[in-house]
Amino acid sequence: MSLVRKYGLSVLAILVSAVVFLIPFAFIIMMAFKDRTQAQLLDFSWPQGFHLWTNIVEVVTTRNWMLLTAFINSSILTVASVTLLVIFAAMVGFVLQRRKTRFNGLIEFFILAGLMIPPAVVPTIWLLQGIGLFGKLHGLILVEVAYGLPFSILLYRAFIATIPRELDEAAIIDGARPFDVFFRVILPLLWPVTVTNIVVQSVAIFNDFTNPLYYLPGNANATVQLTLYNFQSQFNTSYNLLFTNIALITIPPLVVFLFFNRQIVAGMTAGAVKG
Amino acid sequence: MSVMTQTGTAGAGAAAPVPVLKRPSPYPGWFFLPAAIIYGLLFLLPTVASLYFSLTRWTLFNSTFIGLDNFAQFLREPFLIKGLINTVIYAVVTSGLKVVLGLLLAVLLTSQIAARGYLRSVVFFPVLVSTVGVGITFTVLMHPTNGMINEGLAMLGIKGPGWLTNPSLALYSVALVDVWKGVGLATVIYIAGIVAIPKDYYEAARIDGATKLQNFFYVTLPLCRPATVTVIILSFIGGLRTFDLIWAMTRGGPGFASDTVASVIYKQYQAGFYGLSTAGNVVLFALIAVLVVPLTMLLNRREGHE
Amino acid sequence: MAGLELKSLHKSYGNVEVIKGVDLTVEHGEFVVFVGPSGCGKSTLLRMIAGLEDITGGELWIGEVLCNGVEPRDRGIAMVFQNYALYPHMTVYDNVGFGLKLAKTPKDVRDAKIREAARILQMEHLLERKPSQLSGGQRQRVAIGRAIVRKPEVFLFDEPLSNLDAALRVETRMEIAKLHHDLGATMIYVTHDQVEAMTLADKIVVLNGGVVQQVGAPIELYQRPANLFVAGFIGSPKMNFVSVTVEAVSAGRVAVAGKDMASIAIPARTDGLKPGDTVTLGIRPHDLSEESGGAIVGRVALVERLGNETIISMQLPSEASWLVVLDGDHNLSIGQNLALSFEPDRAVIFDADGTARHPDLD
Repeated sequence: MSLVRKYGLSVLAILVSAVVFLIPFAFIIMMAFKDRTQAQLLDFSWPQGFHLWTNIVEVVTTRNWMLLTAFINSSILTVASVTLLVIFAAMVGFVLQRRKTRFNGLIEFFILAGLMIPPAVVPTIWLLQGIGLFGKLHGLILVEVAYGLPFSILLYRAFIATIPRELDEAAIIDGARPFDVFFRVILPLLWPVTVTNIVVQSVAIFNDFTNPLYYLPGNANATVQLTLYNFQSQFNTSYNLLFTNIALITIPPLVVFLFFNRQIVAGMTAGAVKG
Repeated sequence: MSVMTQTGTAGAGAAAPVPVLKRPSPYPGWFFLPAAIIYGLLFLLPTVASLYFSLTRWTLFNSTFIGLDNFAQFLREPFLIKGLINTVIYAVVTSGLKVVLGLLLAVLLTSQIAARGYLRSVVFFPVLVSTVGVGITFTVLMHPTNGMINEGLAMLGIKGPGWLTNPSLALYSVALVDVWKGVGLATVIYIAGIVAIPKDYYEAARIDGATKLQNFFYVTLPLCRPATVTVIILSFIGGLRTFDLIWAMTRGGPGFASDTVASVIYKQYQAGFYGLSTAGNVVLFALIAVLVVPLTMLLNRREGHE
Repeated sequence: MAGLELKSLHKSYGNVEVIKGVDLTVEHGEFVVFVGPSGCGKSTLLRMIAGLEDITGGELWIGEVLCNGVEPRDRGIAMVFQNYALYPHMTVYDNVGFGLKLAKTPKDVRDAKIREAARILQMEHLLERKPSQLSGGQRQRVAIGRAIVRKPEVFLFDEPLSNLDAALRVETRMEIAKLHHDLGATMIYVTHDQVEAMTLADKIVVLNGGVVQQVGAPIELYQRPANLFVAGFIGSPKMNFVSVTVEAVSAGRVAVAGKDMASIAIPARTDGLKPGDTVTLGIRPHDLSEESGGAIVGRVALVERLGNETIISMQLPSEASWLVVLDGDHNLSIGQNLALSFEPDRAVIFDADGTARHPDLD
């Protein structure tokens, strides 16, 4: 009886999850396999013929290899932003956790403000123009760092609280200067939370649509999310290509998910609960 | 200062007065500097500047002070008010659904159910996928005539609505997709909260003869309250700020039916009304402050009483 | 090697003063133990010497150098921490060699020093392991190795044995004593365990409330505690105290009696004492013996028979509770009366303010 109930519930859960969560992804993949005419029907049907490769070639080569450029841009954006985020956030998290001063309250206020307040878009554009970084990839990199810092700092601070202060002191007695204490003793110990940070922030920045839309206009330096947006209007009639594009840009998060599922879940829950 | 007073007191007693040298802290303040510069320049400064520019007619090159005209316009124009109301509806609907569904899923996925790992993965994966990609996919799936959802409903003999074309439905359809994409995060937060509940409570409840339902209401629900607070705050702020999903699915349409403050900000920016767009930013900021701060205080205060 | 000189050291956190003027001289090669209850400031004092805490006032001299403003790395000290504080991401070899690496010691010199330290501590076989692969005792050994390799003028130990189990604690204690003997280095050692203090120290510093209570050789502290606090803190079980009244004062002796005790004359410093004064008498549990007609009679409340000795908890008429340790086995029953006596010269008279009135030594 209870066996039936237990498996009944399991089977039901699997069926519902398949309909709700898997079919949309199956739909994307099947669309990517179809040719233009069949894709036009927008139905959930088995692809007639194998058109994936031609679709990929067409999507990638369109508009002067725009998707390839976009992938390169997005990679540079993600790698550079996350690198800076990790180092700068870890430095702040370290000193913030270790050194109690009367400024800590203010700093914490700014961190919480950063998590809550929506960025002021047009003034930021105005500022970026002022310093000559509007529409430039490194300008966007700095923006992503600025927006990502509060979350990363909270993650680091929580983790650093678990590292005994004795370790810093042992290093100080051993002759380490502040720089050595951080980069040779603390930073290596932060590796688990650094992995979490890298994974969570990479996904967020790679998937970011709004900020590139505002701060990096123009097709020349589009990011992958913008290609989708641009193609959406262009490929009004070429759903096969649109979905091939969606499938292609879903691959990086999928890879991250397969390899770092645990860290990403840990990071998002830990950061969220503490924030 | 401290050096001065130290020499003073030491000089009174000791033969050779020695100033107490202040050694630099092993936790140097300049570690804050790179982050502070980037954050201050690209986040704080624009935020502060927005307070001024929202009071101007602004072309990026010169601005004319016009007082509260932008805000007055925000409260006068029906489509702008509509955006304001939509934003609140959207935030309430999405965060409410995420709390309820996230908690139910978490309870299910921490129970002795088969294929737990698969289910957790499947529920969580959409969190990592591009929002625009999800938006476009569901726009197609929600197509009124050819869309898969309505075709599926037709097979069951139900005539599906125009999910995104019906003005009174469009906002809720987008909210549903938001929940589809975001419920995985709520679920994992709840799972973390439930797993952290010590088994003793359930054992004590069992000895007291509690049923499964009582277990849920008297043990699980109160004890994963921190997770609930997190999910509510997180998804509520996210809901108020939402832009990319709405933009990918409806562009605020049909008409202004699914506009939110964030999409209004973008539209005004595109139209070149920079002052008005910035005023939108300030409105959104105020909206979050007015709703989220009391909400946080309310949730945390009740927590303190337990 | 170098000695230390602490001159009126003060430490405050805001308005809270935790070290209230400590003066202390530590000779070259001396083993000094700071002991006291938790919160007495002993660790803070050690950390001030190490340079981990700023000095609010006073002077700290290590050797010939005034060290108040000197960085820890330039003080010629090494420190062993309570929780070992080994770098988890480095092997034992790298842990021991980290300080040398920071000092840019040439690789071959470094290697020789690390292996030398490993040889002294008999841990050559552990060098390639990570701290997580070591037992508690091995970790403490690595921590000591990390200190040795720096060839410091002064070794600082901050409760290094408190995380080890009892057997290992005795063993490591002996190793530290041997290390002190072999290296002849100045060592300062903080503990709350008086057995460690008594066995290791050349000189014990008893601290309470940020103030030095007494400095002296272990046996001196046991036999001639300066005040009630030291008397109660050093020695186990704790010294018994009873409030008594002065009946008569004669040359070098004070006759006291009280509710719990018949009159008895105790050798003591007598200046300023007059009949009728209230003083405290202290006597160690081991110095009491059973004797019918003894000066003290109490009711047996609890008996612990250990075979070689018997520990008796006694209720005195004034409701004061005493411990008595009798040699050998005694079969006493709870509730019975027990009469005790003691040699008058084993007892100590304390003033109302707690200062001991030891008779002057010859």
